[in-house]
Amino acid sequence: MSEVIAVPNRIKRLIVESLHLEGIQPEMIEDEAPLFGEGLGLDSVDALELVVALEKEFGIKIKSQELGREVFSSVSSLSQFIAGRT
Amino acid sequence: MSDERAAGSMRRVAVSGVGAVSGLGWGTGPLWEGLRSGRTAIRPFCRFDGSLHRTHLAAEVPMGSPPEPAERRLTMADRFAVFAAREAMGQAGLEVPFDSQAADLETGVWFGSSTGGMFESERFFHRFVSDRRRSRLGDLAAQQVNGPGDAVARDLGVGGPVQTVSSACSSGALALGAALDAVRSGSVDVAVAGGSDSLCQLTYAGFNALRSVDEGPCLPFRAGRAGMSFGEGAAVLVLEPLERALARGVTPLAELVGAGSACDAHHMTAPDPSGAGAAAALTAALADAGLPADAVDFVNAHGTGTPLNDAAEWQALRLVFGERARTIPIVLTKAILGHLLGSAGAIEAVVTVLCLRHGELHPAPGEVPGAAQTGDHDALPAFLVLDRPHSLPAARTAVSTSLAFGGSNAALVFSRWSNGLAGGLKSGSS
Repeated sequence: MSEVIAVPNRIKRLIVESLHLEGIQPEMIEDEAPLFGEGLGLDSVDALELVVALEKEFGIKIKSQELGREVFSSVSSLSQFIAGRT
Repeated sequence: MSDERAAGSMRRVAVSGVGAVSGLGWGTGPLWEGLRSGRTAIRPFCRFDGSLHRTHLAAEVPMGSPPEPAERRLTMADRFAVFAAREAMGQAGLEVPFDSQAADLETGVWFGSSTGGMFESERFFHRFVSDRRRSRLGDLAAQQVNGPGDAVARDLGVGGPVQTVSSACSSGALALGAALDAVRSGSVDVAVAGGSDSLCQLTYAGFNALRSVDEGPCLPFRAGRAGMSFGEGAAVLVLEPLERALARGVTPLAELVGAGSACDAHHMTAPDPSGAGAAAALTAALADAGLPADAVDFVNAHGTGTPLNDAAEWQALRLVFGERARTIPIVLTKAILGHLLGSAGAIEAVVTVLCLRHGELHPAPGEVPGAAQTGDHDALPAFLVLDRPHSLPAARTAVSTSLAFGGSNAALVFSRWSNGLAGGLKSGSS
């Protein structure tokens, strides 16, 4: 259980570090807030960088665009996907 | 389409606003003040580690002074461009629709750039090799040469034509020529035209490899000149039909009355020493303006400071102006700002407009005010504006030249605005 709780925080730290988001602390990112467009306001280049970073960090593979869209909608959906795989 | 457009008459084109970012700072205020001082902005720089290069100077844009446009994806060159465009639009009294709902279809952007986001691409590769975790794909994605013009269009909400010209060191002037055509023909009501380039290792190393860089600040047209100096920055001119500017109650800063271009078809990097191509561009620009060579009161020379450029340019001036070439004041902006490459033609256009507007030519650093150095074999026997500003309140018409790699030559002709008396209108051109 504690592993699962830690995942969102690891994702948040990864987002901030890998995307070099200045002025944003990991804890400022809400679990359910949208990552792209609104919310954190990431763009498609960020998505590409984030996929690479998450694949490296968690050993996951996002196999289709549809799945990617679903999984990358928020920190919460990402951590559920990762938790289901590990 | 307005009636005026339908009539198809050639419209006179006003410069209704200018903006600039340069080694002298952010804005045309610091630009003009610095140029008047005659002190060069070419000095040691810190944008990247230049210690391995043969030379170690550049006119670097000072960071962190006024607020810079801060969109995350903007490259250095984009930021320069957006700042200059906002300044120019502000001066023109045109609304900058930061939160626009609909793009403005009557406005277009014509921009010159030589390297776009090359600096950021270099940063990506450097980090990719040295510390892969720090490399950002966004840096690589920013490399497009069209970046600065596109960033300006996004920032201003421009929905008309948006085009980038990349033809080395004449890019900025060629972009202005294209914008002039578009405003004259009526395809747009407003053209946001200029250029932007930032320092990067590609050009720094490239020109050094060609041995085209002076170890000290460059000395255009002077004895002892040994090459160019690097600069960076952006410049933007807002062009619109003269009548439109006047109807809006805006006092034009000048008129852009002619543009011309011609190619040496000679060599990849070296100019044709006869100056024929550069002379052809100048002649074409004057013909476009409907003005004789005698009407030109001063020249803002390309004047890079390389022995080959300056000698060829001098030949071109001799071909166009004959003996009068020795007495026309020559303004040497690159001695202060360095060479802005794809943005050089744009910033020198802004400087030419400012000189006309103020009735004063800015000096290059030098000991001899205004005099020709006829005694020295190396120096070109021209009337160089040196040491202190040269007052020329009666100046009505000026040309600015841009001579690029590949022999791509461009020239622009500006006329002072004075209550409808500005010259250069082609007679019977409707």
